[in-house]
Amino acid sequence: MILIVNTTADTSVTDELKKRMSECTTDFEVIEAESLKISHCIGCNYCWLKTPGECTIKDDYEMILKKVVHADQMWVVSDTALGFIDHKGKNVYDRMIPALTMYLKFYKGQLRHVPRYQKLPDIGLIYLGSADKAFLKRWNERAALNFMRKSLGVFERDELKEAVSCMC
Amino acid sequence: MHVLIINGSPRVKKYSNTNAILEKFTEGLCENGTTFEQYEISDKNSWDQIRQSYDRNTIILVALPLYVESIPGLLIEFLETLTPKSDGSKMVFLLQGGFMEGVQLRCGEACLKIIADKLGCEYMGTLVKGDNFCIRFFEGEWRENITGAYADMGREFAAHGNFNSKACKKFTGPETIPFFVRIHVGHILNTQAKTGFEQMAAVLDCNKPLDYKPY
Repeated sequence: MILIVNTTADTSVTDELKKRMSECTTDFEVIEAESLKISHCIGCNYCWLKTPGECTIKDDYEMILKKVVHADQMWVVSDTALGFIDHKGKNVYDRMIPALTMYLKFYKGQLRHVPRYQKLPDIGLIYLGSADKAFLKRWNERAALNFMRKSLGVFERDELKEAVSCMC
Repeated sequence: MHVLIINGSPRVKKYSNTNAILEKFTEGLCENGTTFEQYEISDKNSWDQIRQSYDRNTIILVALPLYVESIPGLLIEFLETLTPKSDGSKMVFLLQGGFMEGVQLRCGEACLKIIADKLGCEYMGTLVKGDNFCIRFFEGEWRENITGAYADMGREFAAHGNFNSKACKKFTGPETIPFFVRIHVGHILNTQAKTGFEQMAAVLDCNKPLDYKPY
């Protein structure tokens, strides 16, 4: 299953994605998250040490997390700020950490948290506006490494065709 | 020299590892007359005050924990509200994380350089250091063992006005862990470290295994 979380107010992006994916055989689900209540991660570490796997913040992200941990691909659609993704997009990444455990191991020569679930999704990013694309590519690869998975790539608003080619 | 210090951790000050680090850092910073004012972005009520301080100060230090390979969402939310500067302000960062290898923090460091530029500030370097996860769980001498050396870095910053000195670079420690050491550390992670994490969980009244799968 492909999960697409749109953290922007621009639903024309997800409309186009749906249209382009209509010929795909893969299941996909789009969540329009801009209007949802999604807090930032507060760094309490309770998801690792007090309520393993569950975020202590009970907001609309819980429903998203339940889908993330069983998805094959996770795509985040985000606005940009200061050359990076904006806080709404980043919050969706930061809140994924309950999918990992407190336990550690070496993976590709570096320490990583052991994933809580057998197979977490690969991660792709679609961004609106201007950002440092080379950095975003580097960053998304590192972010996917947390799941011991790969980056599906980083795509601009006018590269949805290319993004969909990575989904189908 | 007067420094605006912004603690960019979303965690409340009382439990903030970044704040514990800043307590030691500012001890060294102030020894020869440097002054500072510090604010916490975890306290949203203070954001107006931080913005005013950002506007009037020209030396800005942002201390932060690494969150998913870059800066925490809450810190981005705050920084989005700032007006880019054109008064020759300088920006430095103190980036800390849990993993011990320096390489883990380099992507985050690159992000900070971009952000300083976008805010119209001259980038004066980032002090990079991992292995800080346990600070919150330690008190007294144990905590001092982790945070104590940051006082030296406070002195370095007071002397140079940046984090580019050899001492600051060395402070990061090893970029990666050598293969043979990894074998040894890997064994510890599967034994003593697991027990240690479970003890931390017990302190927090956790009643499930740490690898529990709720969904």
